Amino acid sequence: MIKTFDPLNPAAATIDDQQLAGLVQPTKLHRSLYISDEIFELEMSRIWGEAWIFIGHESQVKNPGDYYTTHINHRVPVILVRDRSGAVNVLHNRCAHKGAKLVDTVEGNARAFRCCYHGWTFNTDGSVLKIPNEAGYEGTGFDIKDPQNNLQTVRSASYRGFVFATLSATIVDLPEWLGGAAEVFDNLCDRAPEGEVEVAGGVLRYEHDCNWKLFLENLNDTMHPMVTHQSVVQAAEDYIATLPPEAVDQRAEAEIIPPFGASYENFEESGITGFAYGHHYDGGKTSIHANYSVNPDYWAAMVASYGEQRTKEILSFNTHNTLYYPSITIKSAVQNVRVVRPIAVDKCIIETWSFRLKGAPEEMLQRTLLYSRLINSSASMVGPDDLEAYSRIQDGLQSTGSEWVEMHRHYNRDEQLADRTVGGGTSDLDMRTQYQAWQAYMGRLAHHLPTGGDHHE
Amino acid sequence: MSNPDIDLRAIEQFLYDEANLLDNPDLDRWIELYSPDGSYWMPVKPDQADPLNHVSIFYDDRVMMEVRRRNFVHPRAASKDHRVRCSHIIGNVRCTGTTAQGDLIVTSNFQCVLYYRREQRVYAGTYEHHLIQEGGRFKIRHKKVLLINCDAPHKSLTIYL
Repeated sequence: MIKTFDPLNPAAATIDDQQLAGLVQPTKLHRSLYISDEIFELEMSRIWGEAWIFIGHESQVKNPGDYYTTHINHRVPVILVRDRSGAVNVLHNRCAHKGAKLVDTVEGNARAFRCCYHGWTFNTDGSVLKIPNEAGYEGTGFDIKDPQNNLQTVRSASYRGFVFATLSATIVDLPEWLGGAAEVFDNLCDRAPEGEVEVAGGVLRYEHDCNWKLFLENLNDTMHPMVTHQSVVQAAEDYIATLPPEAVDQRAEAEIIPPFGASYENFEESGITGFAYGHHYDGGKTSIHANYSVNPDYWAAMVASYGEQRTKEILSFNTHNTLYYPSITIKSAVQNVRVVRPIAVDKCIIETWSFRLKGAPEEMLQRTLLYSRLINSSASMVGPDDLEAYSRIQDGLQSTGSEWVEMHRHYNRDEQLADRTVGGGTSDLDMRTQYQAWQAYMGRLAHHLPTGGDHHE
Repeated sequence: MSNPDIDLRAIEQFLYDEANLLDNPDLDRWIELYSPDGSYWMPVKPDQADPLNHVSIFYDDRVMMEVRRRNFVHPRAASKDHRVRCSHIIGNVRCTGTTAQGDLIVTSNFQCVLYYRREQRVYAGTYEHHLIQEGGRFKIRHKKVLLINCDAPHKSLTIYL
């Protein structure tokens, strides 16, 4: 039994690795995963301090000196910056001198970063540029060439423009970590006639009073829409029923909503696919996004780039939500990305970003933004009903009536393939996939493919 | 700024009446204050130029207003299990111009104290109403609600402000 000790969090020493791993059973989870401050702190170091975390997209820092600031877990501040040579870096946002956060604006352009306290100045690649009144350091043993006097670099890597960083020196490289799930990033980018996407149209930030994992669990939870979103679907259907036949535009607009209450059968058909490291998606052959009409100018631009056969292949790969555990979820079919920022055991912020398909007609971005607003805004008619459920779980799990949360659906029915596990669309395969990764990160075990349930409780 | 054709008192009264339909939520009657091409916009950026090429917190036309008013009273909308209560104060009401369509542009400041899910919050910002004058009555063609903290993370907002 390995005792753990985190000097920043001495309380964490009270749970050992084996006990942590035991909080996840093949078909059930211990309620402390959602309500224990101690476990939250351990998650921040063992999951959010270990996994590849989404930082931003290269298009947010197009020109040398462009920067964007964020956090790797709920507190480690970092800067995404393009340096003078054109390289994109992730730097610790901490002055090498006294530790002040160097940049406290969200985005901008800088020739160099200058600390507001004593004026230490750093190049955009992190190297120290100037220390005022340097003579005072002569003979003190201080060496300006010591790399400790640079802004420290965070290990980072980019996949088709999406920049990830990790605080771990040992986690596998990004392509191996993404594994087969990278095919959804590919699909998102391939949907652009130019093969690239770029951030456009701003960001929504939605404060959630719940544990960050409850948001993740909902992404491929296909048993909730017809219940949680019944009201908005019926509201839209009731309104559509009042429309005269000539109200074509109104009908088309209102019809965006009913697919959110698609039937159990529809979701079952869409399937769920799980990968190592906790990634998963629902959909593939079909999804609730499969029946959107295709803009004819977009179709023409795609065929000009890829030919008709390949265009059909790209547009018929229809996933709903894809999770790259634990920090980013994408909807390739509508070019919408949500980013998870945990704050506390019962609080997280969900950011919604929209992407332009380079080379596609501008209306495509407008459709993406419409979607982001209608579904993901804090004032949408969909998101608040989801959040209501998460918040009630957060409250309900304080109950001592049971220690466990269950996830049995389709257990022992999922099919194990070479690099993935596949199951029916209403399977809890997504839950089991996430929590195998949770168990591996938290219990310091080897990561492996989700087993599909062929071992027994 | 004084224009003898504009009855500022009547405009203020109209804004108060509109706010009352949100304080004591009656979205069926609130929506009737809007023209058939009416819209309600809450930007997410202080200097946001437009609601179509940039994401917004709200941008509802009559279609989405019609869906929203039905959803607002639906017994299975769990987020509406908690009744939302609001108290609006509107001030600094000014007529600041006319639109290309000839609508009156009315700018005002507002504060709204909102109680929802066992928690009280404060929203503040600027309203911009585009009003159509029809025989001594007003219709809203457009209402923009610019929150002073529009670009902050927000909690669920289940009613128009």
